[in-house]
Amino acid sequence: MYSYKTGIEQIDRLSGGFEAGTNILILAPPMSYADQLAYALTKPVTGEYAITLSTNERAAEVVDFFKVAGSDKRFIGVIDAITKSSTPSIVDTPRLRFVSSPTDLTGIGIKFSNMIEAIFEGDFSDGEAGLFPPPIRFCVNSVSTLLMYRKLEVLYQFLHVLTAKLKKIEGVGIYILNSESFDDKTLSLIKQLMNCVIEIKIEQNISYLRIQGIRGVNSDWQKFSVNKGQVSILP
Amino acid sequence: MISTGMNSVDDMLGGGIPKGSRVLYSMEPGVNGQLFMISSLCSAIAKDLSCLVILPHTTFETFSNDVSIMKAGLIDLSSEKIFFIDAIDRERIQKSSNSPYSAKYEWKTRIAKICKEKKIDVIFAYFDLLSEEFGIGGGLEILAQEDDDLKSTLILELLNLEGEPLLRRFIQDFSFDVVISIKSSYLAVPNFDYFTLVHTSWSSQPQQSLPFVTVNGRIVPYIPRIVVTGPVKSGKSTFVTNASIEGISVDRVGLDGDSTTVVMDLGLLHWNGFDITLYGTPGQPRFDPLIPGMFKHTMGVILMIDSTKPQFLPRAKEMIGMLTERSVPIVIAANKKDLPGRMEEKEIRSALDIKTDIPLFFISATNKTDVRYVLESLVNSITQFPY
Repeated sequence: MYSYKTGIEQIDRLSGGFEAGTNILILAPPMSYADQLAYALTKPVTGEYAITLSTNERAAEVVDFFKVAGSDKRFIGVIDAITKSSTPSIVDTPRLRFVSSPTDLTGIGIKFSNMIEAIFEGDFSDGEAGLFPPPIRFCVNSVSTLLMYRKLEVLYQFLHVLTAKLKKIEGVGIYILNSESFDDKTLSLIKQLMNCVIEIKIEQNISYLRIQGIRGVNSDWQKFSVNKGQVSILP
Repeated sequence: MISTGMNSVDDMLGGGIPKGSRVLYSMEPGVNGQLFMISSLCSAIAKDLSCLVILPHTTFETFSNDVSIMKAGLIDLSSEKIFFIDAIDRERIQKSSNSPYSAKYEWKTRIAKICKEKKIDVIFAYFDLLSEEFGIGGGLEILAQEDDDLKSTLILELLNLEGEPLLRRFIQDFSFDVVISIKSSYLAVPNFDYFTLVHTSWSSQPQQSLPFVTVNGRIVPYIPRIVVTGPVKSGKSTFVTNASIEGISVDRVGLDGDSTTVVMDLGLLHWNGFDITLYGTPGQPRFDPLIPGMFKHTMGVILMIDSTKPQFLPRAKEMIGMLTERSVPIVIAANKKDLPGRMEEKEIRSALDIKTDIPLFFISATNKTDVRYVLESLVNSITQFPY
């Protein structure tokens, strides 16, 4: 089965990376650069594809991150739930698709399926081809935002479908959730959908992460930093 | 009668939607089915009916842009007979109401006022947020008309995250007249979309399903196929004959006195609401160039092997290679299970190099129950969504 490299040397050495079909929750307080970590884990290596559902920033900003991190933009797709509310006439392209708002789960589901289909059909990357069957990394840059617009029960069912689809296509999913804005019930329900949880904390300006759910990787707090899409575990 | 804007759906309904009915378009997550609602709306506008469109999830500008892209600009939403309540109105209602009760009252009053003053014929409502805020019953109360003389036809679109139980609630608890469920095959590829007429209040005919594609802003249904393929003399023709209600086989008697298919077996069957065509391919390698062309609009493939003839397994493996390249769902039917010398499952899987994600059944193609079981497992694996 395909393994998705995390790009974190220590983890890839111990475990080979994320197994295909893994759904990863990043639980982080605000201002802890969780999005940087999530994007770094979503960054496709050669032959892979990445799709980001952006509820927080415009598609162009998401693509910029990946470009700076050295990815080929032909393998990067964004479902943008922000831009259309201010620019209703914006038109979809194969790699940038727009939904009216983060409330529009119907639209999000359709654009997600469309993109996966385009990737499988080879209509995604301007004639460039990645591996086949295509390894796909998928990132939701904030489940917290979705939870502000829709009820927990509805969102749970929606994410249940998304995570199941990712398992089916042997992709990986990376989901950011703000650890401080929601009650325990919300956190535990969303965790049920995941098979790996990465927690982030900041103490005295130093970022720590703790990983649970990757075979062979210990679950202690470790110092880390992210620079240009590269995560480093610090001694 | 009000047309749904889709001939195939109108035909299934016996002409269209009776005036005053309540209709649900239930959409499974990810399925490209927004054209059902849009087609019905466009058809109502074209017939000069007065319409109220309720869009709590988006603004009028965004919606009309989306519709004009989907319908290639062929529709004008600025007509004097169409009225909208959109996300901006929803925000205003939320801000001005201090309780769910007063919000509900505000919604109901607004809708009733428009329906009465403008003599609305059809209400089109995107129901997700209303049902989330007020429950299904509460949402429907908002849309209900007190005055029977003014009763508008109601058409809802709803993202169905719960599957069958939700449909049953609309049919049993809320007495909907028409329930159409729009679904997608659970596999990532091929993207196989279909709709099922689950219920009509005026007839008790069994569910009917049709796969569809969208072409130039129209829903175009097609007859799905299942292809039965495999090495020569594995029992494909027998399988097709026993699976079909009608069928033909074009055979020629070979040198050894047995007959073999040289053109194609064709069969028709009705299964799970689908009318399915069965195509049995010839097994000889010289026909291979014909095979890829058959995979268009194919629901899935049944690969027949003779479980007593290991010498044909390399050929079967070659055929699996041709199929997986196209990502078509496959099941393996290992025929002649009751004959001596049958191979074990492990042996076949290892020779064909297939994992457990490809189901393998031991069957006898002369036994109709076995044949039906294989078909059932293939159709179910494609059409049933595990909620």
